[in-house]
Amino acid sequence: MKRIITLIALFIVAISAAQTQFEQGMGKAFGLWKEGKNSEASAMFERIASAEKTSWLPNYYVAMVNTTAAFSEKDPTKIDLMLTKAQDAIDVEMIKDQSNSELYVIQALLYTAYVVADPMTNAPKYSSKIMEAYAKAKTLNPNNPRAVFGEADYQLGGAKWTGVDTKPLCAQVDKAIELFATFKPETPFSPKWGLDRALETQKSCKK
Amino acid sequence: MTTKLLFTISILFFTTVIFAQNTISGKVVDEKGKPVPGANIYIDGTYDGATSSETGEFSFETTAEGNQFIVVSFLLYETFKKEIDVANYKDQTVKLRENVNALDAVVITAGTLESGDKARVSVLKPLDIVTTAGSAGNIIAALQTLPGTQTVGEDGRLFVRGGEASETQTFVDGLRVAQPYGATTNNLPTRSRFSPFLFSGIAFSTGGYSAEYGEALSSVLLLNTQDEPDQNKTDIALMTVGLGVGNTQKWKKSSFSINTNYINLAPYQAVIPQNVDWNNPYQSLGGEAVYRYHFERGIFKLYAAFDSEKFDLNQKNVNFTDPIRTDLNNNNFYLNGSYKGDFGTGWQLTTGISYGYSKNKIKYDINDVDTNENAAQLKLKLRKNISNYFKLSFGADYFITKFNENFKDNVSIDVANGYDSNIAAFYTEGDILFSKNLAMKVGARLSNNSLLDETNIAPRASIAYKVSKTSQFSFAYGDFSQTPVVDYIKYSKYHQFESEKAQHYILNYQFTRPGQTFRAEAYYKDYSNLVQYDTRDIAYNSVFNNNGSGYAKGLDLFWRDSNLLKHLEYWVSYSYIDSERQYKNFPTMATPNFVANHSLSIVTKYFITDWKSQIGFTNSYSSGRPYNDPNQTQFMNGKTKSYNSLSFNWAYLLTTQKILYFSVSNVLGTQNVFGYDYAKTPDANGIYNRQAVTPTADRFFFVGFFWTISDNKNENQLKNL
Repeated sequence: MKRIITLIALFIVAISAAQTQFEQGMGKAFGLWKEGKNSEASAMFERIASAEKTSWLPNYYVAMVNTTAAFSEKDPTKIDLMLTKAQDAIDVEMIKDQSNSELYVIQALLYTAYVVADPMTNAPKYSSKIMEAYAKAKTLNPNNPRAVFGEADYQLGGAKWTGVDTKPLCAQVDKAIELFATFKPETPFSPKWGLDRALETQKSCKK
Repeated sequence: MTTKLLFTISILFFTTVIFAQNTISGKVVDEKGKPVPGANIYIDGTYDGATSSETGEFSFETTAEGNQFIVVSFLLYETFKKEIDVANYKDQTVKLRENVNALDAVVITAGTLESGDKARVSVLKPLDIVTTAGSAGNIIAALQTLPGTQTVGEDGRLFVRGGEASETQTFVDGLRVAQPYGATTNNLPTRSRFSPFLFSGIAFSTGGYSAEYGEALSSVLLLNTQDEPDQNKTDIALMTVGLGVGNTQKWKKSSFSINTNYINLAPYQAVIPQNVDWNNPYQSLGGEAVYRYHFERGIFKLYAAFDSEKFDLNQKNVNFTDPIRTDLNNNNFYLNGSYKGDFGTGWQLTTGISYGYSKNKIKYDINDVDTNENAAQLKLKLRKNISNYFKLSFGADYFITKFNENFKDNVSIDVANGYDSNIAAFYTEGDILFSKNLAMKVGARLSNNSLLDETNIAPRASIAYKVSKTSQFSFAYGDFSQTPVVDYIKYSKYHQFESEKAQHYILNYQFTRPGQTFRAEAYYKDYSNLVQYDTRDIAYNSVFNNNGSGYAKGLDLFWRDSNLLKHLEYWVSYSYIDSERQYKNFPTMATPNFVANHSLSIVTKYFITDWKSQIGFTNSYSSGRPYNDPNQTQFMNGKTKSYNSLSFNWAYLLTTQKILYFSVSNVLGTQNVFGYDYAKTPDANGIYNRQAVTPTADRFFFVGFFWTISDNKNENQLKNL
């Protein structure tokens, strides 16, 4: 009996140690990201991805870090490099699992970064891909607030130019905010971003 | 027992926490030994790693044991992976090789103007074809705003660097299009058969192109159909010149797009005064369809286009008192099936077949001319990536052309002329990247033409050197040959003709910065073996020889900028050319009538967000063109006044999916003269009378309403205009 208990105890220790390593690693990477050390954070997530082949999160964050960094980057060569890196990371996870709603959201966000970088060239090229990715994300999880918000936000961004009716889009933003309230991330590291941006968009909707 | 358990646990805990730690350290450098900061160094499959410092140095501890893989990754370089003993990896230097596929690697640009997704430096963006004022959705008209082309308003086809229009070949997905232009007659401009709608990439080479392409003396125009359409949608177009309907369906691995158009110029011809007298307006019914299927490692595409055109008009002719009637019917069919895919390691296969059929029924005055052309091509191309630094391609082409013409004057003459031509060609080409800054392409093409009974070998070579982040030089050389045009070889007997030949030398400088491109290209072209004949018109009894020759030399400049003002894009093209030929029935060396020494195009596009509008202007200028005045002793001594046309377009978005489009060409109403036709015989006073060759109308205007129906409300047809 004691031997069994010992074994179980050992097993738990081993598992919790492993979890700790993942959590520590992820925690460290998030820390770097928060400090604005994007390339270090990306490198850390990349290393975690190489060790944790079963988790999609490290690669998701490689894509996330590089995509968000690309939004504020001015140099087109760097933007290309960052987005290529992000795309490679998404591709790795997309092959493993094509029914992860969040992966389609990050894919849509990545395309959006291309559009923001050079709207005249890239809007016609990526607009429908963006809409397609959000649509797919919504089909896979209709309650994903990032998918609902992202889809509305992208169209609102172009509304000034395209003359699309903003009312239904703003209603979608409101709906997304409700979904954010009820959204429970599966793990502590699962994506949970987006509420702040949605609240801002809601404000400009009401103007 | 409890102590024992605790002991075990603590042992286990220690094993994970302070298991024998090894320090890994070293420095990351590039090929020149310069430190590389920001590289990610780690032991594969572990969390252990570091980012290299400003001095390229790194150091970290790992709990991994024995032999492990160390990975050093950084986007600009090839990822380094090596098996190491973790206990003995200290102060090592890791040399990263530059990734030659990185975006800033050198690309050979001599002669080539590219547009599209894959182009590294886009001279034209895909949207430009349709949003350039004056282009009216005609691919050729948009290309005529680029340097190296000549505006030949009475013809409409592409004339490149002193070459005849027939010296340019068009390829769709790598396969030749035997009849790329709509049917036309005397001095009525034609347009490209292809709507820009289904193409995602265009490469237009004004010389020195790859050994993959043959049977073109001057230029190749490569059109690539989209691999993947955006989405399911229906497009509807209501225009002052006709109707158009398109639909796209997308499935998991395949997709299908179809486009149909009915064009009738009667309303336009009723409103705008015409310089000719139409019995029946220009009408055409056409459609194109593409089916695409994606395999695991390849894509199959089937493209088919059909169109039927007719018109009937009376044109004044200086040789006759009454206008001459032309009644034309043309049916054209084009089919193209291609497969492109990867296999094995680093192999790429491109194969396909194309078939074109064109049937013309022309009534010219009392004469009947019926022509039939069947043209097919088979193609196979293999490419092997031997390394990132060397790629080898080789392939074979087989062209089959059957042409028949029946001529009846409905009095006494009833003759048939025609020819069968088979051309087999093989080519091979190597792409060598010496470094990120130096690239070379060397190849040769071997072809055999059964009709001419001749074998040709044509070497091609080009080299590019990048001098700085923004500038590069390229040089290209090539030998090119082409079977003489149908007008001659339909009279071919006993293999009497030889291929016409040209040699190109091109020196190119390119400067690119985000939003800005500058190109300067100097070239020299040497023509030989051109066909000559001894009669006024080409006829069955003409005596032909291949002794003609000529040259073309010039300078092409191009500047494109989108940084000057927000929402403004513009480009400027200037071409200078000096060209003379002794060919056809020219008595001496002379500049042919399609060559203008100076050409200048300015294209602007301005987006006005508040008006939800895009407004564009295009101004095309070319200096006078030569013409021959038989009243003068010197051949080709005349020169027309210069040509100028200012075009304007306006796209207005009613809602996202509904667009109103307006365009007008030659806003200023400039009275352009393309040349003069002289009477074949002098009048009573011994003077040869003449008649100016002018556009069929001074202006063209167009109003259209375009409606897209799709789930994605952002999609519209702006890109099709």
